Amino acid sequence: MFDGLLLLGGGLAHFLTPLSLFNIAWATLLGIVIGALPGLTATMGVALLVTLTYKMAPDQAILCLMCLYCGAIYGGSRTAILLSIPGTPASAATTLDGHPLALQGKAGTAMGLATTSSALGTVVGIFALALIAPLLAEAALKFGTYEFFWLALFGVVISGQLTAMDDPLKGYIAGILGLLVAMVGMETLHAHQRFTFGIPALGGGVDLIPAMVGAFGFAEILGVMKRSAQARIVSSGDRVIPRLSEIFRYKWTIIRSGLIGTFVGIVPGVGEDVGAWASYAAARRTSKERHLFGKGSQEGLIAAETGNSAVIPGAMIPTLTLALPGSAAAAVLIAAMFIHGIRPGPLLMTENPEFLYQIVAILLFSTIAMLVFGLTLTRPLLTVLSVPRERLMAVVYVLCVVGSFAITQRMFDVWVMVGFGIVGFILREMKYPMAPLVLGIILGDLLDLNLRRGLLLTNGDPSPFFTRPISAVICLVIILTILMSIPAVSTRVRSIFTRGRGDASAQS
Amino acid sequence: MATDTSTDTPTPSDDAPQPGMIKADLLAGLVFIVLGLAIFYGAWTMDRLEVRRINPMTVPGLVPGLLSIALTLCGTILAFRSLRTPAVGGWQQLSGALVSGAAGRALAVMLLALIYTLGLIGTLPFWAATGIFVFAFILVFECWLATPRQPLLRSLPWALGLALVTATVVTLVFERAFLVRLP
Repeated sequence: MFDGLLLLGGGLAHFLTPLSLFNIAWATLLGIVIGALPGLTATMGVALLVTLTYKMAPDQAILCLMCLYCGAIYGGSRTAILLSIPGTPASAATTLDGHPLALQGKAGTAMGLATTSSALGTVVGIFALALIAPLLAEAALKFGTYEFFWLALFGVVISGQLTAMDDPLKGYIAGILGLLVAMVGMETLHAHQRFTFGIPALGGGVDLIPAMVGAFGFAEILGVMKRSAQARIVSSGDRVIPRLSEIFRYKWTIIRSGLIGTFVGIVPGVGEDVGAWASYAAARRTSKERHLFGKGSQEGLIAAETGNSAVIPGAMIPTLTLALPGSAAAAVLIAAMFIHGIRPGPLLMTENPEFLYQIVAILLFSTIAMLVFGLTLTRPLLTVLSVPRERLMAVVYVLCVVGSFAITQRMFDVWVMVGFGIVGFILREMKYPMAPLVLGIILGDLLDLNLRRGLLLTNGDPSPFFTRPISAVICLVIILTILMSIPAVSTRVRSIFTRGRGDASAQS
Repeated sequence: MATDTSTDTPTPSDDAPQPGMIKADLLAGLVFIVLGLAIFYGAWTMDRLEVRRINPMTVPGLVPGLLSIALTLCGTILAFRSLRTPAVGGWQQLSGALVSGAAGRALAVMLLALIYTLGLIGTLPFWAATGIFVFAFILVFECWLATPRQPLLRSLPWALGLALVTATVVTLVFERAFLVRLP
């Protein structure tokens, strides 16, 4: 307990330097601008910034990336409120009540509430990160090769299930495609080249950053430029800083949404958009003002913004303790950590315990910066939204090209980016989610190595994968998840529960 | 008892599949089946490393083989489901979407990006290739593919200025500050 507090104090003190504060300020502001611009997502922003942080010290690089991530998730609310276009997918739920509020002449109030609830959501998540992550890291030390195989599979399956809300099958297919991409190149158990077709550049496999820049960057450019309509900005003239009473009135919504967002963040690969939707749905179900939802409900706006921001610290829990990314942006952060010599995973708490608390400190500083910029720079930030996308996207594509090239300085990575961009765009048009695809690329090696290493240890006997307690539990959860995604099964189960509840109420 | 008569909040799960999307799923399902079978063949014929006395359960082709089976299965379910779902006018809707204005705009971005990436970079100095790309991109999308179209004389200074600024700043920042040797 005291060790944790001491480490947290150390983390806060570590970043109380002029350089760190300067980096926090510009990275958070850049994040807000990126989030506010439709077409530029948090994941894309983090992926592009990775290439600009090579020469930085590792702590400052991670600081900049985390601040940009937090700022971008929050920044998406600006566009959602003023244009009814979510700046990032995480802000999709915010449009439902944020824009109607703006149309009622309460754009300032809506932006103030979004800012405050985003900050409060992050704080709820930060508490969870500080409390849960050390415990999970300790538990993860007991995990063996069998458990890590199931965890990798669990990450892809649950991400496929939750990110493709309409159709889990498409989420699973995206996850399998990602896993197959990870099979390209030299495998780590016997050093054998797979699916390289004699191309030397494929020997090292497909790099994550160019693949992500393509799937989230170039594909996004194609998606944005495809549309011809230009949105109209709603002007704001009312007060931006919310009254304490307005916030206090919805304290339970904030706490509940913060907890939901954090939990969603912990689930591998799911991300901020699901956090926002889940929080919004829970708030709508329990609200006394349910009739206002979708028509300018302050509670709905608060729930969505608290939920998506709480996902960020939540996503860092599996990212840091298990090296399983909690969101797509966290996946890029894992890659960035490896580039900067930091190894996330169960050994992090023994090898580098202060790093976890440095992340907590970064999130706290970023939240303060977000609050300050959000409440004071609302009107100047609006000018950013007036940049025509025709001019912006040309520059963004140049950054996608340079960002992909800069990592290993070979054109092959640029071609990978272009290929993933075009395929990603086609898949997105057909409602395939990108998060499981990217998670598959990240977890493919973990899955492959641990399955075959486990079989090697048992001389080909697969039974420990099913008989070890933790393995058995994760395996059961995966089977249930897949079964529940089959409409016939889920309908049957739901009808059993409904009948059971009906019988119980009849008896009472 | 009062019932909730509020309009349903549009959540992502509310979208009903369009007939065109059902047909697109059928095509995608077939592509995944072919891809899955091709990968299975690749995994099956992959070196089993017998000379190194590798346990057959740990061969390099094991996981790709399992994944290819999963992909083939998912593709079959997708294709079968699409066949069973009624989709009147699906093929017309799908072909209409492929030749729509939106598809044309996306294709224009792809073409410009491919010309820049595969043609200009490496042939011209990076700054020149970047300048030409940004200039062409802005003019194509502001003066030709925009609705309403911008007058050329209004877009030209912006296109020229932004092309110069992007080419200069990106080249200087990456080559001088980050020491990246640009192509």
